[in-house]
Amino acid sequence: MELNSGAFERFAVTFDKGDIIFCEYEPGDSFYLIQNGRVQISKIMGGLEKTVDILHPGEIFGEMAILEEAPRSANAIAVDQVKALEFNRANFEILMRGNPQITLKLLRLFTKRVYDQRRRFMILTLDDVSAKVADVFLMLNEMKPPDNLESDERVFHTTAEDVAHWAGISPEKARDVIQHFTSQRRLEVMTDRIIVKNINEFVRFVNSRRRQT
Amino acid sequence: MPKAITYKANSVIYFRGDVGDKIYILKAGRISLNSNDIETGQDIHDHIQTGEFFGVKSAMGKYPREETALVLTDASVIAFTVPEFEQLVATNTRVIMKMLKVFSNQLRRMHAKVSSLLAQEEESDPEEGLYRIGEYYLRKKEYSKARYAFNKYLTYYPAGRFHQDANKFAQTAEAYLLKYGTGKGPATAGLATAPPSAAAASPAGNSARDSSSGLSNVAQKYYDAVSTFSQQKYAEALAAFKRIAESRDDEEYTVKSLFEIGRCLYTMGQYDASIRHFTGFVQRYPGSPDLKDALFYVGQSYQRKGETERAGSFYSKILSMEPVEDGLKRKVQKAIRSLEQEA
Repeated sequence: MELNSGAFERFAVTFDKGDIIFCEYEPGDSFYLIQNGRVQISKIMGGLEKTVDILHPGEIFGEMAILEEAPRSANAIAVDQVKALEFNRANFEILMRGNPQITLKLLRLFTKRVYDQRRRFMILTLDDVSAKVADVFLMLNEMKPPDNLESDERVFHTTAEDVAHWAGISPEKARDVIQHFTSQRRLEVMTDRIIVKNINEFVRFVNSRRRQT
Repeated sequence: MPKAITYKANSVIYFRGDVGDKIYILKAGRISLNSNDIETGQDIHDHIQTGEFFGVKSAMGKYPREETALVLTDASVIAFTVPEFEQLVATNTRVIMKMLKVFSNQLRRMHAKVSSLLAQEEESDPEEGLYRIGEYYLRKKEYSKARYAFNKYLTYYPAGRFHQDANKFAQTAEAYLLKYGTGKGPATAGLATAPPSAAAASPAGNSARDSSSGLSNVAQKYYDAVSTFSQQKYAEALAAFKRIAESRDDEEYTVKSLFEIGRCLYTMGQYDASIRHFTGFVQRYPGSPDLKDALFYVGQSYQRKGETERAGSFYSKILSMEPVEDGLKRKVQKAIRSLEQEA
């Protein structure tokens, strides 16, 4: 998103490559709009740092701080030299008046976050572990429209660990289920990706396991 | 152009599952948004106030409607396309703020539900969390990040539980950064494998941390097993804890490992085994500092098995055993709330 007027220049902050912009658990009172450079969002879990997302210019992060001063839920680290605009609740009004597009972008971002969280919850409410795993693939499929709608096959750049994370089960369990699906030829596992042979078959399978309401 | 539309009583503006690109505002009449709670399946009827928007999230997010909009009495609404709606609200900061608040409330509620289903341990208090991040980066020899986290810790918790260590390690990070640069330098003594709980809880852990190789053999094995557990290799951790407990080299680590065995069983979903194990543990080691946590896991196991009454009785028992450490107290209270929601 271009903010070509110099009016926002006074909100600009820069970070060197490798700098922490904020870290998890730190109280947050500002959010950022990236102008230049990339930002890594990561979490430290079980003694390992896991990249949650890489954000690019035009993207917003730290947005929960607009509404409440809750602790940050992840680390934000500059991947390159980063220039960003920093806003807080006090100057948020100025931003909204000066650039309604950003505010709408925020509104869309929140909309998506609510939906994603709700979608994730739907996975967790399934009782059947195999259905949980299958539903993770359905969620990933919904997030990224397929390249080829004609085919039932879908390729996901994901791992058993990621699937375990989304399904709320142990990696061992996820590997077991994936192994079982593979032996039934419903999945194919490569080093860097997992292929679902027939996504519609997974849709039917998950629907049959979902508690009818 | 936004369109005014009138609906007769008992008609439906949209059904749940429809994909629609319209956002509505109610001008007159009564409309109910009907949905089912995604957790309990319970019917929910939300009445729209005059002047209120509905259908916003699904239209903006381009995903299926989550509720059915049912007209209760003859009603008139104005329908907007998403661009029309955005144009309308763009200049109205008050409306946008209000919507952001509504969405963020929903987000927080959903987030809490997800966390409670995952029974995440990660809800450690932010004070400790911040300190642990500093430790993590120091261990990884990322000194500037470690310095950042420790300095933030000292800013927000100048007299906090870890302020002495944070102070010391902030200086260490600073010195190593200047002397060696990121990614190099000596492995930072004591931090290497000390897990959060053990290091914070026992004085032995603290003294081990000050000397570079002060850990006894059995302690080292124990910490390795804790780290295996935190890497979610539960079966492997379980086997390691069993070996330590069976070796009986050191009473302290035997008891600690016995506690961890129960935690492994619980985390692996073996609730009956976890209940049996912790029940035995509590009887044998009534003086263990982990006693209340053990009872908590018994309660959680019963709750997972659907035996909510039994779970509840364990939770209230813990709360009656003053003093209860804050972190555990919060977890127990949260578990009680989730029981009430299940009921």
